[in-house]
Amino acid sequence: MMAVKKRFPYRAAAVACNGDCPASAGFKCRYGCVGCGNCTAVCKFGAVSLNEKGVAEVDEERCTACGMCVKACPQQVIHIHECANYIVVRCSNQDKGKEAREVCAASCIGCGICEKTCTAEAIKVIENCARIDEDVCLSCGMCAVKCPRGAIIDLRGILT
Amino acid sequence: MYTFTVNGQAAATDKKQSLLRFLRDEMHLTSVKDGCSQGACGACTVIIDGKTCKACVPTTDKLEGKEILTVEGLSDWESKVFTYAYGEAGAVQCGFCIPGMVMCTKALLDVNPEPTEEEIRYALRNNYCRCTGYVKIIAAVKLSAKILREGVIPEKSEDDWKIGSRVHRLDVEEKVLGYGKYPDDFYMEGMCYGSALRSRYPRARVLSIDTAAAKALPGVIAVLTAKDIPGENKIGHLKHDQYTLIPVGGLTHYLGDAVALVAAEDMDTVLKAKKLIKVEYEELLAVHSIEEAARQDAPRVFDEEESNVQAYKHVSRGDARKAIESAEHVITQHFETPWTEHAFLEPECAVAYIDEDEDVRIISTDQDAYCTYHECSLMLGTDKVKAENALVGGGFGGKEDMTVQHHAALIAYHTRRPVKVRLTRAESLLIHPKRHHFVMDFTMGCDGNGKILGVKAKVASDTGAFASLGGPVLERACTHAAGPYAYENFEIEGTAYYTNNPPAGAFRGFGVTQTCFAVETLLNMMADEIGITPWEIRCRNAIRPGGVLPNGQIVDESTGLVETLEAVKEEYDAAMKAGKPVGLACALKNAGVGVGLADWGRAKLIVEEDHKLHIYAGASCIGQGLGTVLVQMVVSNTDLKREDIVYERSNTWIAPDSGTTSGSRQTMITGEAVRRACGKLMEAKKDGRTLADLTGQEFYGEYLAKTDPLGADVPNPVSHVAYGYATQVCILDPKSRKIDTVIAAHDVGKAVNPLSCEGQIEGGVVMSLGYALTERYPIDENCRPTEKFGALGLFRAHEIPKIKAVVIDKPGLNVACGAIGIGEITSIPTAPAVTDAYYRLDGERRFCLPISGTPYERKGS
Repeated sequence: MMAVKKRFPYRAAAVACNGDCPASAGFKCRYGCVGCGNCTAVCKFGAVSLNEKGVAEVDEERCTACGMCVKACPQQVIHIHECANYIVVRCSNQDKGKEAREVCAASCIGCGICEKTCTAEAIKVIENCARIDEDVCLSCGMCAVKCPRGAIIDLRGILT
Repeated sequence: MYTFTVNGQAAATDKKQSLLRFLRDEMHLTSVKDGCSQGACGACTVIIDGKTCKACVPTTDKLEGKEILTVEGLSDWESKVFTYAYGEAGAVQCGFCIPGMVMCTKALLDVNPEPTEEEIRYALRNNYCRCTGYVKIIAAVKLSAKILREGVIPEKSEDDWKIGSRVHRLDVEEKVLGYGKYPDDFYMEGMCYGSALRSRYPRARVLSIDTAAAKALPGVIAVLTAKDIPGENKIGHLKHDQYTLIPVGGLTHYLGDAVALVAAEDMDTVLKAKKLIKVEYEELLAVHSIEEAARQDAPRVFDEEESNVQAYKHVSRGDARKAIESAEHVITQHFETPWTEHAFLEPECAVAYIDEDEDVRIISTDQDAYCTYHECSLMLGTDKVKAENALVGGGFGGKEDMTVQHHAALIAYHTRRPVKVRLTRAESLLIHPKRHHFVMDFTMGCDGNGKILGVKAKVASDTGAFASLGGPVLERACTHAAGPYAYENFEIEGTAYYTNNPPAGAFRGFGVTQTCFAVETLLNMMADEIGITPWEIRCRNAIRPGGVLPNGQIVDESTGLVETLEAVKEEYDAAMKAGKPVGLACALKNAGVGVGLADWGRAKLIVEEDHKLHIYAGASCIGQGLGTVLVQMVVSNTDLKREDIVYERSNTWIAPDSGTTSGSRQTMITGEAVRRACGKLMEAKKDGRTLADLTGQEFYGEYLAKTDPLGADVPNPVSHVAYGYATQVCILDPKSRKIDTVIAAHDVGKAVNPLSCEGQIEGGVVMSLGYALTERYPIDENCRPTEKFGALGLFRAHEIPKIKAVVIDKPGLNVACGAIGIGEITSIPTAPAVTDAYYRLDGERRFCLPISGTPYERKGS
């Protein structure tokens, strides 16, 4: 696959699902990735693959943020983000805390600890799921460190 | 046991704590600054496995096997490169953010040796700087990259240390490499920690305080209340209405009022003990706003006062009412400006201990060591007090009052132990005085040619829980509300009200930032009504040498407003011609406190045993670069070289009192005192004597900037010895609707160090871009302000527009070699210029700051 020249600030697709209710467990979560593979099929750059849990994963180096996978995803768990914002919420579950907790070990339960912790007021729980406003996020990762569910991660692998 | 690597050495700890606390408290790697511990400021940025990370975020238990790098771990070569590049670019001011910025620089250049400007901005964007406006830090990264690629450090571009030379500041290395000490970087033998328990309610009567349980907690050394204060409880910069501790029976004035002080062996114990203090309150109705404070039946904020009026000013010359009545064009408008937080990167901190003379010695970060000395002496009831400045991590007016110094002094006095009292960022946001929220009504009358005939105004400010500098801020707001124009009829009435909000006081611009927004906006509206450009209406009204300001002062030859207007004209006209939305505003700002006050500059030059000349002036460098200015002053007025001279930070036992770093005064007033002392030194050196011959001798210089009091019974009172003038232009990009360029032309007198001058301008402009567009300091219904540093809306590195700083080098008075000063005025005309540019873009006039309807507006706020 040809490397594609990208324009700074780099953008890439991000999958908002940890995949902790994997295919083997029958994909209990209504909101998460179902491992259908539509995204991997439409990606012209080999940037999206299904990982060992059977959920989509993006290789930011290869991704051009073309948005094809976003359109192809029946679950709408893929979105485009700015790579410089390496702190991301990896969950799309909109169920209330109890149900969200039951279906997945790494789901956002909407507890709001991230919202209280965030110095920039960049992260908000909307429809029971944390969302980051990338325009104001300072990428400190305090939310990721404090998240009791491990639903927020540092894509660089430093803090989580 | 958690194990990881720090600067190449194995490190281990049993304690689960933030990496920041481990690096500072256990390893004493004090380049890693604690600016907020919230993940916002970036002053604690380190590199972990090659990536930048704020050290306050990860905890030690999550770092197993990781490699951590701090500034202390840079190679010699990198240390030299970054020191040179940051110095050459002029990137260092207060320095508190700098080690974090250096870490960002290294992490970027390690993987991207030739970054674009945008990539540099992104690499810095999670780190705040409040002094520089990022411009010169970005330049420093660019220069670092070039040097690292080429492998050679060039000569300094200018190094003669004469006035006018763009020398590297003298404090670059200690700030880049992080070994320079701010108070929080002192770890003394036997040092304990102190903190205040604050009021639970903004306005309540304290009925009882029970400290028994707190005192009984192991590790607690002392719990102090008002009855433990040996001297005056009430202190204050001018008016003594700030309680050190609220006594039983006393009224609390805001949520920051201290009720008790705890000293303990460590901070964890301090926090536990604070929770064990039982305070009974009678909660009372609080005063939330100017409107509430002004009501006849309003609760009184102070038991001691008859009303909530803290200060009232009336300034009048000519007959404004009559002039406006006869004017062809009249515009009346209401304006509002918000509370603003200084957001200096270094939170307040003081270390106090009993020194060898049995004096209470206070190491503090403040704008005037003598002020700390006087107020702490008053509170302790003894003059056996010394105060000295450590490095000061930014002030901007917010470090003029006592916040921690008096509490540290009281603990040291009682416990006889060294103590550190440091505000958390949340406390800092609550406690130090802010920029006043103002409401203003202005009327301006002009003739058919746009000549101003008269201005009449009424303003009110919320000065919060104690006076601080509320009176003088109001006064300066009133005296400068007329603008830098020549007209005769001006009247303004101003009232400052106490409320139970956090206190308001000095903030870069000192009231003028507020009234300038009003009068400059009116002038822009007037230009439209008359059919001339904002530039033209200013040119027609501009004060020129020999002209009379509306305060009656005849201005001297140094007056350079017209030069600043001329300096922006070409680009202003070009942008107008290109159809771009352009806004413009002017300003004047006094140098020196003026209005008849005893404004003394004093300095002592001492030849010490090292055969060098040591400069002692009781004048704080709060990051603006005073030490460099004074050294340049000495080099220019003696036959000495830079290496013969040592700058000493302010203290109260050797250095003579040279007044507060306030009112843009130090360059001119302390500068002149130093110049005069240089004259005496040169007299002593006349017969060929060397510094070695003069060892032990002192050369003293002093200068009184003599002015007339407000309302003096003279035809043309001299309100201020000198003024700085400015014109700023804001050009928008119509496509993105963002600011493309700000041109800031400043008449500073003789620029002592043009590089530092530019840095002041860029920093001041970016600070006021925040004031105009993004910054907020919300206060809730319980009079509680935000606790979140990251939510203040400060500009970030990737958001700044192009800033063109133009230094008009027009010599000033026959003092301080013609230098006037620059500190505050940089922040004054920005907001009206920006606001006018947005009007040119979308036709909507805006009268409240921060303005709405711009791409900078935060969603959902």
